[in-house]
Amino acid sequence: MTAVHQFLSALLPRDATGAHALAVRSAFRAAGWSSEIYVEAAHDEVLHEATYFGRYPGRAVPGDVLLYHLSTASPIAAFLLDRSEPLVLNYHNVTPGSFYAAWEPETGRRADRARDEAAALASRAALGITDSRFNADELTALGCRSTEVVPVLSGIGPEHWRAPRRPAGGSTRAAGGRGTGTAWLFVGRLSPNKAQHQVVEALWWYRRQVDPRAHLDLVGAPVTPSYAAALVAFVTELGLESAVHFHEGLSTDELARRYQDADVFVCLSEHEGFCVPLVEAMVFDLPVVAYRAGAVPETLGDAGLLLDTKRPAAVAAAVARVVGDETLRSHLRRAARARLDRFDPDAARARFVELLGPLAGAPRPAPNPGPGGATA
Amino acid sequence: MTSTPTNGETTRSASAADQPADQPADAAAYLAGVMVEIDAEVARRRASGELPPALERELDELFLEFSPLGARGSARLRETLALVDGAAYVDTAVPVASQKAAGAYVKRGIQKATGWYMNYVVHQVTRFSWSVSRMLHVLVDHVEDLEQAVDGLRPPDVDLSVVPVAAPSGTWWASLVVEALTGIRGRVVHGDCGDGSLVEALVAAGVDAYGLDPHDDAAEAVAIRGLDARGGRLLDHLEAVPEEALAAVVASGSVQWLSPSERDRFVVLAASRLAVGGILCLHSASPIGWERSCPPVVADLAPGRPLHPETWEHLGARHGLRLRAVHQGGAAERIVVGEGVPSSDALDALISVVNDRLLAPGEYLLVAERVQ
Repeated sequence: MTAVHQFLSALLPRDATGAHALAVRSAFRAAGWSSEIYVEAAHDEVLHEATYFGRYPGRAVPGDVLLYHLSTASPIAAFLLDRSEPLVLNYHNVTPGSFYAAWEPETGRRADRARDEAAALASRAALGITDSRFNADELTALGCRSTEVVPVLSGIGPEHWRAPRRPAGGSTRAAGGRGTGTAWLFVGRLSPNKAQHQVVEALWWYRRQVDPRAHLDLVGAPVTPSYAAALVAFVTELGLESAVHFHEGLSTDELARRYQDADVFVCLSEHEGFCVPLVEAMVFDLPVVAYRAGAVPETLGDAGLLLDTKRPAAVAAAVARVVGDETLRSHLRRAARARLDRFDPDAARARFVELLGPLAGAPRPAPNPGPGGATA
Repeated sequence: MTSTPTNGETTRSASAADQPADQPADAAAYLAGVMVEIDAEVARRRASGELPPALERELDELFLEFSPLGARGSARLRETLALVDGAAYVDTAVPVASQKAAGAYVKRGIQKATGWYMNYVVHQVTRFSWSVSRMLHVLVDHVEDLEQAVDGLRPPDVDLSVVPVAAPSGTWWASLVVEALTGIRGRVVHGDCGDGSLVEALVAAGVDAYGLDPHDDAAEAVAIRGLDARGGRLLDHLEAVPEEALAAVVASGSVQWLSPSERDRFVVLAASRLAVGGILCLHSASPIGWERSCPPVVADLAPGRPLHPETWEHLGARHGLRLRAVHQGGAAERIVVGEGVPSSDALDALISVVNDRLLAPGEYLLVAERVQ
């Protein structure tokens, strides 16, 4: 039986890499393959979905293909280097350690170690899969011979993806919110490379110049506690305690609601390998204002306003324009819908099966006869 | 143009960015038009004095105060050291509280049973960590001494107030830049654009040009005239621009007195931000012309000195820039023998040497192309 097993450092609920691995496993199983997830650690909520990676050797079967999701340092890397099964590296990007050096040197060292592991695995991998050309270029530079770009499968599920769109101009989102001030949103772990403090600066500016009731939801786990603590203190110093709300551990539905209730998604990240929340914002017709860095331009395309600066005055002016200009919002909405075709989850699942199948010795899927009937 | 009243509604009058189109090229032009209008809106607000640019810097600095290692220089080292000192202590009193009924008793039992072992190990770990901490204190003392010594050697900053705002229109080299860049496709940036007159001339010649100037007020004045101009240094801007995003870079003004390390950074950035086939136009005083053409305070305080064009050519060649042309120009000063004064061939020859060596035109415009 065709078997493709996935390995990742940790399986966590409401985590992009974890959600992606679960979605990929569903795709493999739907193709009739055997597929398990092996991890170094798993959260109680999803413990039943995964097995400790040390147990894999006892379950290995000739013909297995191993798919490793690399986003952080893990002993799994050394473990896989010693295995003889064909290896596919799904590279989710590692934030350069320099971003953490001033905050948490150990986190920075761990990130650098992850990059070293990526380099060691890249040359060993039969195939590298990434969610952006930006990541593919990094992987190629690390020594991977063959790379394919396949979008990451978001935690926002098909029920949201296929949800009917709000009619243009008829949404409660039009022109500055619902009488409670412009609602800003950013989704991403609280980490220096995500630069949430600059989103806060821009919000402060926006409240002074445009809308004193504007508020910001920051959704994400405080993975760099010293940065998160500084962020909270900064918010307090600016007198924005009642305007900036921190959230973590939101369910998919709760997250979806944040996207639905927001007026604008503001991303000022310094480094992104793909940026799933940009796609999620597009799914929810939420206009995006983003800083041009990393893979952000590639993911967003022309479906948002890309800034060359993070100066608060410029960010605030861009947000004001997006919120107050229905013509622009309508344009961005159309562009986002067109762009979403690139990230279609069904197509991504099929592509994973198509790419892994030959390595795992799976029979080729029967060609689609199409509307005209059987092929010759 | 766009104006944004304080209620959050944006009102707009007719503009180039009113009608988005379905074609990708038109859509890109529409978004570019929107961005130009946003930049103009920022410039307008800044010009109105509502919120001064310095406030933006203050916001950044305010955040630094809250970062654990946010302080600069030796204060940062000392704070880090305090963290190390704090972490050097290892506590053997393991918490024994438990949510389970007998958990605390069990934990206390384990604590007592393993206490002799833990104490032995912890004693050694603590001795090691305190040794490391002491060594770090010695290192920090040395670093602080070095910093103090280096600070004494560092040239003072050139205050922007002593650097005049450039006015390139009518200069001998502005027309050569326009000639070199006419017909070029893609974005062209002019660093230290001053009054924006060269940007204006480039735009009039059909070039997609924009300007940067370290004097925020000057950049705003240019933007108010409807040109794309922003406050800031060319070097910082090039850092933010993606690779191969520019068709040409025009560098003038402060590029002449960059410090050696900044000069190296400039060459690397300019070469990498230019697309293949892109053009670098660099205007500078020559080393001999520097004293004549530069304001005295800038000449004295500048961290670097102008280079010969051959040196720029040498530096650029290492990063794929090939010299196209060097144009000499600028005001010349000549020693002339007055009428009626008897002259001799020998004296004339000497005067000619002085004129050529010391008083020849003291500026040049270097034009180079990125070839790889």
